Amino acid sequence: MGIFDAEATTTAGSSTDQLLILLLLALPIAGFAITALIGRRLGTRAWAIAVPAIIVTWAIAMFLVYQTLIVHAYPDGGIHFRLYEWIPAGSFQVDVNFAVDALTAVMLIVVCTVGMLVHVYSIGYMAHDPGRWRFFAYLNFFMFSMLLLVLADNFLLLFVAWELVGLSSYLLIGFWYRRRSAALAAKKAFLVNRVGDLGFSLGIMAIWTTVGTLNFPEVFTQLPALYTSGGLQTWQMAGIALLIFAGAVGKSAQFPLHVWLPDAMEGPTPVSALIHAATMVNAGVYLVARAGTLFSYVPGAMVIVAAIGIFTAILAASIAFTQTDIKRVLAYSTLSQLGYMFAALGVGAYAAAIFHLLAHGFFKGLLFLDSGSVIHGVHEEQDMNRMGALARKMPITHATMLLGSLAIAGIPPLAGFFSKDEILSESFKNGFLWVWAIGIVVALMTAFYMFRLMGKTFYGKSHVDPVVEPKIHESPWTMTVPLILLAIPSAFLGLVVGLPFGNSVISNWLKPVFEPYDVILGRSPEPFQLFGVDGALILVSVAVAVVGMVAAWRLFGFFVVSPRQALVDAWTARVQPLYVASKNKWYFDDLNDLIFVRFGGLVAAGLWWFDVHVIDGAVNGVATLTQGAGREIRHIQTGRVQNYALGIAAGLIIMAIGFLVVVSR
Amino acid sequence: MSHSLDAYLVLSSLLFAIGTFGFLARRNAIAMLMSIELMLNAVNLAIVAFGAFTPQLAANGAVIALFVIATAAAEATVGLAIVIAIYRNRRTPLVDEYSSMRE
Repeated sequence: MGIFDAEATTTAGSSTDQLLILLLLALPIAGFAITALIGRRLGTRAWAIAVPAIIVTWAIAMFLVYQTLIVHAYPDGGIHFRLYEWIPAGSFQVDVNFAVDALTAVMLIVVCTVGMLVHVYSIGYMAHDPGRWRFFAYLNFFMFSMLLLVLADNFLLLFVAWELVGLSSYLLIGFWYRRRSAALAAKKAFLVNRVGDLGFSLGIMAIWTTVGTLNFPEVFTQLPALYTSGGLQTWQMAGIALLIFAGAVGKSAQFPLHVWLPDAMEGPTPVSALIHAATMVNAGVYLVARAGTLFSYVPGAMVIVAAIGIFTAILAASIAFTQTDIKRVLAYSTLSQLGYMFAALGVGAYAAAIFHLLAHGFFKGLLFLDSGSVIHGVHEEQDMNRMGALARKMPITHATMLLGSLAIAGIPPLAGFFSKDEILSESFKNGFLWVWAIGIVVALMTAFYMFRLMGKTFYGKSHVDPVVEPKIHESPWTMTVPLILLAIPSAFLGLVVGLPFGNSVISNWLKPVFEPYDVILGRSPEPFQLFGVDGALILVSVAVAVVGMVAAWRLFGFFVVSPRQALVDAWTARVQPLYVASKNKWYFDDLNDLIFVRFGGLVAAGLWWFDVHVIDGAVNGVATLTQGAGREIRHIQTGRVQNYALGIAAGLIIMAIGFLVVVSR
Repeated sequence: MSHSLDAYLVLSSLLFAIGTFGFLARRNAIAMLMSIELMLNAVNLAIVAFGAFTPQLAANGAVIALFVIATAAAEATVGLAIVIAIYRNRRTPLVDEYSSMRE
């Protein structure tokens, strides 16, 4: 049914709704096109088209969110409509179709809000960069791709958006492409993502060959129907789920494909905040949540999801302990929090995962923008050992970053407390004790490394370059206003959507999407016991967060508490091998270098030898043979008619004799 | 007129051999054309002889021979035209001088 179809049914939404959804995509892509075409002429006003386009997009998105989540203007399954038939190739038919349901709406909140604030922030952050028109064009292009990703209603369209966000990520990581490290990081991100995408595309092909459609609603009813009727083996169902999960592992940088995200910090800081903390890296979580029906039927696959998630969480947290680059600490923290989300998905706490995604999008976006403000303030210095005592000089940055750190550490009543606690208590109650236990340790580590970062950056004595020291300044208002605006949801999001416990607003929002999963898993909601198991779990998680935080205060300083470098040195000396291993990121980059660069290089060299000597040898041999034969045989081409005639005569005679011999026998 | 087919065939093959030899051995293009005519006529003789000695072929032999004569006339015309054209370009009738098509 077309967009202005008079007979549009209710599930297709009214034509106004459809128009708004299309505007969500049209505005950013138009902003991209215009900025790319005439942005260079706009000079310092390169943002003049890109930023207003995203602000309008944000307003439209908020209207759709309001319609979906607050007033329930749409049916429970959300609105689904087809724009046009994209690939009509025989039995292989794919539409360009879009859907807005509760899950998409929650994604729209974080994508559009953080996206809009990052756009505003970039006006100030990129003010001195000559390539700013390129930057804003790419940012708009990213917004288009990301919105396409959350709005797509079939696997192929989602895959296209999946690749487009990868492309914009590549372009923005390598934004300062003259810097070799940035160009290499961009390439690394692209290549590592390809590995996951291979699995994802195989999963999509498997789905198509199994059910012959790629539309979400049909896939999520037909595949389970086939499975329950015995037409599909368990390993096949688990295989499809895990292949899709492979794509998520790549995009959301989970172990073993986590190596690209820390290097992606080579991009400008607003990019790190938007793409590599708040939105694109969440695409994997979104995908697994979207395909949750498939996972819910195969608990074995969910255990793998949970294991990879919680392992990434603790691995990344342990690396964050020792990094000195402020953005890398945040990058590893992002990995760790994404690990939490996958752990939540794996234990079946879908709503908790999406809640953490939402909360994390806000506070991690805030932390990254804060780190950008700090880097800006100390003149492009990223090493925390060359910072310190910035609290008084950058009051707004300091205050908002402190709030963000408290939020990620899980201190009530900030956003991170509610979402993290929900993940941990759900894993405990769903019987995944090991996930809960590791998660508690990670919570302790999170609080510790975040306040190590705060201590090294804002408190204690200043280690800033004496030349730069007097020039340290708070950032302009285009940068601080987004910080304040992001601090608000980081502080209050949990209070607004995380309450009441056990039956929170956000879980009610997401109920239309996630309730069927719970039915498949055979779970029924248990009453919340504040003075029972739930209260105890909350106490434990808050207690470990406080322990980690206070330990970091004593070691690295906090307001009046001064840092104790001697104690830090003594502790690191005691666990020297662990310290070195953590500092070297557990040698994953070296392992990859060994396996894929060295060993893979050897294999490639062997194959190259085979190619040069055997394949090319065969091809060249045929050519040489033909050439040589031609060179020799052309001597009989004398140009004398009579030689040819003699040949003809001789041939005739031989044929005649041969004929006679054959006939006479 | 002999009453033996063999005699005609011997004469025919002699003529054909002479024609072939002439075609291969003579260097003059005109002489080579004449040799071709000789070969054609040797074949014609054989056909007519077959026609005369084989009752089933009585009428057909003569008709085939007539066709060969007509074709030979056309061939001679074209052949001569080519020889004259080459002669005008190369100023020689000797075929082994026409060597520009050599390897």
